[in-house]
Order: sequence, then C-alpha cells, then structure tokens
Amino acid sequence: MNPEAFLNLDRVIHEKGRLAIMSMLAASPELSFTELRDALSMTDGNVTTHIRTLQEAGYVAVAKSYQNKRPLTTVSLTTAGRKAFTDYVDLLEKIVQQTRKIK
Amino acid sequence: METDWAAEHLQTIRTLMERTAVYRRALAPIMVWNGIAGIFAGLAGWKLAFNSAHVFIVFWSTAALLAIIGSFLLVRRQAIKDSEPFWSPPTRRIAQALLPPLFIGAFLNGCAVCGTWSDKSDGSYLAFIQVLFWLFLYGCAAHSAAFFMTRGMKLFGWIFIAAGCALFLAATVPDKNWLSGLSPHLLMAGTFGGLHLAYGIYLYLTEKGKNAS
Repeated sequence: MNPEAFLNLDRVIHEKGRLAIMSMLAASPELSFTELRDALSMTDGNVTTHIRTLQEAGYVAVAKSYQNKRPLTTVSLTTAGRKAFTDYVDLLEKIVQQTRKIK
Repeated sequence: METDWAAEHLQTIRTLMERTAVYRRALAPIMVWNGIAGIFAGLAGWKLAFNSAHVFIVFWSTAALLAIIGSFLLVRRQAIKDSEPFWSPPTRRIAQALLPPLFIGAFLNGCAVCGTWSDKSDGSYLAFIQVLFWLFLYGCAAHSAAFFMTRGMKLFGWIFIAAGCALFLAATVPDKNWLSGLSPHLLMAGTFGGLHLAYGIYLYLTEKGKNAS
C-alpha cells in the first residue's frame, strides 16, 4: 500500500474525539456544546479542548448567545473545515480502495 | 489491518452523521396526543352534526391546528427536559419537509370554505372528497418528514396514502348507498385518529422493549 495517503491524513481531524465532532458538524448546520457533549459522552473539558484545537486550525466557528436567559454555545463548521473534512473522507476512501486492490 | 481502521473510521463517520441528521425526539407521546385529539374531534363532529361542507372544513382545520400546537408543546417540553434547543436543525428540516403538502392542504381548505360558504345543505360528499385530499397530502407530508426521522414514519405515510387510495376506489363502485351512511367525521376519527393512536401505542411498546434490552 502507498504510505503517502496515510501520511497525508489531516492530523487535526484524525484524532478520535475531533473526528467525531467534525462528523456531527458536517451533518448539521450548527450544534450546541451540550448536544455534542451528550451525543459523544465526553466531559466538558474534553469537548472544550477539542473545539479549541479545531478552532485554532480554522475548522470550526464558535458562537455564544443566550436562550431562555441561559448561555448557549453553538459550534459550526467553517468553509475550510468542511473542505478539510471532505478531503479527509476522500483520502480514507482511497486508502480502503488501495488496500482492497492489494488483497 | 490498515484497511480495517480506515473502513471503521468511515463507518463511524457515517453513523455519527446519520445520528446527527435524524430527529431524535420521542414520537410516541406526539402520536398518542394526535390520535386522541383526532378520535375526540371525530366523535364531537359526528355528535354535533357539523354536516355542511364549510363547517366540516373549519372544524377539522381548527382540530388540526390544536393538534399541531399540542405536538409543538410536547416537543418543547422534551427539549427543555433534555436541555437542548427547541428549534434544532433536525426540527427545522422536518418542518421544512412537512410544509409544502400542509400548505397545499391549507390552500385547498381555504378555497373549499370560500366556495361553499353560503351553501347550508348537507355537504357529506364534498367532505368525503376533502378527507381523501387530506389523507393523500398528510401521507406525502409524513413520508417526506421520514427522511429525517425513524424509518417507520415512511410506512406510516404510505398507510395514509393507501387508505386514501382504498377510499377513492370504494367511492367509485356503482352503488354509493354506503357513502351516505358513512359520516366523514367518523372517517376522520378512524383514519387520522385511529392510525396516530395505533402508531403511538406501537412506539410506546417498542421503545419500552428497546429500553429494557
């Protein structure tokens, strides 16, 4: 198998927790912090750390607002984040196809 | 080995995306509420003899509006309980999927009410036609919404469409005496009320089974 495809995988997205967050955001225009935390059974600290990493990479945008007088944090994919996610999935599919050919 | 992790990653991505896109609020209480409201309205309309066409349409439009308001309140209660936003992306998608057939239904209702406003005679036949339209349109609406909900909703939509087809075929038989003896209100109670209630009970039983496992 060509190892180049594996080396080209986006390391920011490749981490399990961040990949899960990116996958959920790819299917929805935006999600609240609590929705992500509950759906992925993560701790507040874990979600915060992953979102910060994704935000620093320019893949997600975080918006803070109020709903029913309670603070609401929503997260959404940026254009760069959506492209990075699509590229990542394409690369994964290539890896699967390449290895199937070898088999 | 490497294929396994890549394929597993793809499967995880797919599962997470599907789970996020699908509407997750419990449907059972909504279905039971709509079923009870439908049956109650059907019996009330039949007992009160709301037989002229425009009264029939206005009565059932009001009943539908109350059923929708009740459903939204149930969704809101669940959202508050789970500390989630009420107007979530899946809820928005479902509302958008439901909107075109429901808009057509409302438009046809408006036209039919305007056209029969001064007619005080028995409007059972027109009411029967209206029930057919409602069954078809509601079936289409449920089927569209099912793309963002549990798979059973697609079948639920098809049952409404099938019920509409069966009624239409029954109405084409030469001997229509049976039609005059059939109250459109009871027809509404049996179809809209009965089907919602049956699906709600089914959901309660299956959800309990899932929770127990």
